[in-house]
Amino acid sequence: MNSDLIFYSTVSDVRPSSVHAGAGPEATDTPAIELRGLHKSFGPVHAVDGVDLEIRDGEFFSMLGPSGSGKTTVLRIIAGFESPTAGRVRLAGHDVTDRPPFARDVNTVFQDYALFPHMSVAGNVEYGLRVRKVDRAERRRRVEEALGTVRLAGYGDRRPTQLSGGQRQRVSLARAIINRPKVLLLDEPLGALDLKLRREMQIELKQMQRELGITFVFVTHDQEEALTMSDRIAVFNDGRIEQVATPVELYETPATTFVAGFVGTSNMLEGEAARRILGEPGLFSVRPEKIRIDQPGTTVDAGRCAAEGVVEEIAYLGSTTHAIVALGTGVTLTVQQQNADHVDSALLQRGRAVQLSWPRAHLVRLVATGESHPGDDPTEVESS
Amino acid sequence: MSVAAALHRRPRLRLGLLLAPPMLWLGVAYLAALAALLVTAFWTANSFTGEVERTWSLENFRELFGIGVYKTVTLRTIGIAALVTVVDAAIAFPIALYMAKVASPRAQRLLVVAVLMPLWASYLVKAYAWRGMLAEGGLIDWIGKPFHASSPGFGVTATILTLAYLWLPYMILPVYAGLERLPTSLLEASSDLGAGPATTLRRVVVPMAMPAVVAGAIFTFSLSLGDYIAVTIVGGANQMLGTVVYANVGAAGNLPFAAAVAMVPVVIMLLFLAAVRRTGALESL
Amino acid sequence: MRRIGAVLSAALLALAVAGCGSTGGGGGGASGKFTAPDVPMKKSVGKGEGEVDILAWPGYAEDGSNDPKVDWVTPFEKQTGCQANVKYFGTSDEAINLMKSGGYDVVSASGDATLRLIASGQVAPVNTDLVANYKDVQPFLKDRAWNSVNGQMYGVPHGWGANLLMWRTDKVHPAPDSWGAVFAKSSPYAGHITAYDSPIYIADAALYLMKTKPSLGIKDPYALDQKQLDAAVGLLKVQRAQVSEYWSDYLKEVQAFKTGDSVIGTTWQVIASLARSEHAPVKAVLPKEGATGWSDTWMVSAKSKHPNCAYKWMNYIVSPQANADVAEYFGEAPANAKSCKLTSDKSFCATYHAGDAAFANRIHYWTTPIKQCLDGRKDTTCTDYSQWTQAWTEVKG
Repeated sequence: MNSDLIFYSTVSDVRPSSVHAGAGPEATDTPAIELRGLHKSFGPVHAVDGVDLEIRDGEFFSMLGPSGSGKTTVLRIIAGFESPTAGRVRLAGHDVTDRPPFARDVNTVFQDYALFPHMSVAGNVEYGLRVRKVDRAERRRRVEEALGTVRLAGYGDRRPTQLSGGQRQRVSLARAIINRPKVLLLDEPLGALDLKLRREMQIELKQMQRELGITFVFVTHDQEEALTMSDRIAVFNDGRIEQVATPVELYETPATTFVAGFVGTSNMLEGEAARRILGEPGLFSVRPEKIRIDQPGTTVDAGRCAAEGVVEEIAYLGSTTHAIVALGTGVTLTVQQQNADHVDSALLQRGRAVQLSWPRAHLVRLVATGESHPGDDPTEVESS
Repeated sequence: MSVAAALHRRPRLRLGLLLAPPMLWLGVAYLAALAALLVTAFWTANSFTGEVERTWSLENFRELFGIGVYKTVTLRTIGIAALVTVVDAAIAFPIALYMAKVASPRAQRLLVVAVLMPLWASYLVKAYAWRGMLAEGGLIDWIGKPFHASSPGFGVTATILTLAYLWLPYMILPVYAGLERLPTSLLEASSDLGAGPATTLRRVVVPMAMPAVVAGAIFTFSLSLGDYIAVTIVGGANQMLGTVVYANVGAAGNLPFAAAVAMVPVVIMLLFLAAVRRTGALESL
Repeated sequence: MRRIGAVLSAALLALAVAGCGSTGGGGGGASGKFTAPDVPMKKSVGKGEGEVDILAWPGYAEDGSNDPKVDWVTPFEKQTGCQANVKYFGTSDEAINLMKSGGYDVVSASGDATLRLIASGQVAPVNTDLVANYKDVQPFLKDRAWNSVNGQMYGVPHGWGANLLMWRTDKVHPAPDSWGAVFAKSSPYAGHITAYDSPIYIADAALYLMKTKPSLGIKDPYALDQKQLDAAVGLLKVQRAQVSEYWSDYLKEVQAFKTGDSVIGTTWQVIASLARSEHAPVKAVLPKEGATGWSDTWMVSAKSKHPNCAYKWMNYIVSPQANADVAEYFGEAPANAKSCKLTSDKSFCATYHAGDAAFANRIHYWTTPIKQCLDGRKDTTCTDYSQWTQAWTEVKG
């Protein structure tokens, strides 16, 4: 409901002109978005619980997390649909915390597209220009241009209801980018599309972002999507940010158990098992594809850790095979093997005794995320 | 047992039995009554005894269209119904908007009850309450006194006020339902694209709520069109189509002519419905 | 296609239903002298049926609910064991319609309703031998044009009186004594004038014209040719512009005079009494032009379900005491000659000229206007009640 936000007590109706200066030289040092000490409570619920974040100008930034983790609320605070309980929002260095959405140089692509059903596609796309009193000829030119950008040239006269889900998504995109915002906010924009269309749109969005040079802030709960598209990712959990990093950093060196579990699949070693196998106490993770599977007793190279166990379960997945190996002390590790011809498939048999080894460099020491850890099994967490 | 089994095997028969009573009701009580009205309009009444004489004639319609007073009354009635509708729409829209998009769920429920509450009171009680308020030295005079304003007295204005009050819930409820169906994300999108509250209202909320407003207007317009009680209570010396019908049924005992007059609001309503059909209002009833 | 079929069959059904209704009542009403439809007359009065449905002018059947001191229905119920169900009506037309709808045993009909009720067969002839108190009714009220056909009584006379002019003594100065006060072109009371809401009110305008514009040649306010009717309508249209509202609901008029929305207009004595009892500063007079008025008759429905109780009611209501009570409360002359001794105000009958046949004849009693001129003119046709109804609609506009 919270629609007191739609009829804001407005401070200023006018957008700051300096923001309109375009991708100027100031872009390099001033962050496009700066969040400081952001808190947001809905009654007793702390949806956002202390978020500090800087999003660089021109980057494709994703906010990743399970539902209810606060990522969408942060996006809505940036857009101005929600006002934070505490904290400040700066856009290109300007504090906009108290400004209503229509006075912020950001545009949003909504999860449900939020197209105006009583207007044609062109009417939807030109809406932002219209309310800013851009003249008709200019409007028409830019509508054509924007529809071309989203590959919907010639669809201007249709009604949103006559379009497919993917087409509506593009209209929604065109409606946002036509305003040439400094920042485009995308709230799970691909959530309603089927897998194939979604893959296509992921690539298109990425290309578009690069061509337009707009800062994209992309909210998703799909880690694969985030990894594919983003320059940097913030992983949200329980109203807080667990880690902000590039996709590679995030995957290779997750900072917390939550990140390790949420982004990709991880084998976790902790407590007694960690000390026995690794020789030191702590909380560690190793990715399944980093583990090599050998005959028991095979020589282990320097800089690698090793452990012996018995194959408990085999899952053939086409290009790869997953093996679940029991290390004898109640700990199991998931191993992912490429089905390449150099792999000894004889080892991938249920009941086979095998030796597992992995480079010490790929053993990541984690910070416990505490009670927010999804699932109780410490050794294996599967993300969605 | 065997009956149940037989019915089970014959779904069409089952459906037929189920639908027959309501269809009969609709057919006989509703359409037949309307048809009877239409037929009666072509008969005449004995001017002395008021008995209906069943000979076909267009006399009633000739009188209806030939005598200026009926045109005056028809235009007055349409004018009153239209103004009542406009007043109701103007009052209902902000209330419904507040209920649907601003109020908390709890306040929302309370407001719905508050809007419905006047419907529980008798029509006559409410109309006479307005008579009391509009009377000399009544509430309106008393409130207006400091501003050197006085009650409009009994007349067309009083009729419009009273009818607008009586039918307000019938406008608020559909508009509220319509606005409630309006996704909040559309309002956010509008604001996000740079539109201030006034522009959002004008370009998004009002156009999207229009079918619901028209749906409400169907109620307020048709109810006002047929009203004859409020106008006798607060309308002063003014007549509406309803009072002419009532006078002809009640006073003159001229049922056929009353039927002819009663066809006027029916025709106006049909024209009105035909005009609003394209707005999609009928779907949001 | 199917839908059209459904509508058509519904329409046909309607025709069939309408087609087997009652056949129209007889009586060539428009012929002036008519033969009443053959409705059987009661031969004897038996035991009461336990209840009686009464249709009456307001104030004619008081059971103490308006004023605990005003109650003659309860004694009737005690005497006869007939439970009385009373329904009041505001105009003669309303009474006729209610009678047509059925469900009433007796009605107090004024002269503008009686013949219409007789002609349409709604009421039965009354066997006056079965009404013991009939013998005491003033002779000048018996066998009159409005209550009998060819010497056969169709009811029992109840009482008679005049429509009065009422005004707020605090707002209207000087006190009026002429109907001119409500018919003047630019009255100081414009916007606060009230008038009776019925076509029969045209007669009030005609009566005023009869006295003030002799050139029109009006002799009887219920016998107007087209030209005379037009003149009356013209006068009423002038009045319309200054009328705050028309009344037919007597309580509405009481309230309007109380608040001051109406300050002057036509009224009945009972309304004036009621308004005064509610502390409204009003007075009512019979203006110098004379007045229209009523002479009411209790009639029995031809479809009465409780005819015995109906006769018992008629006998009771014209009994000396009850007739005196009604007359005094309503403000009219009682029909029963013996009532005059029983009124609480001993000069009451003198005030209302109860026994004064000559005075009674000066009041222009409500009568249904018909094509044959009631004033005896043969060279022209007069306007009938449907034309008056039409004209009244036009006056109100």
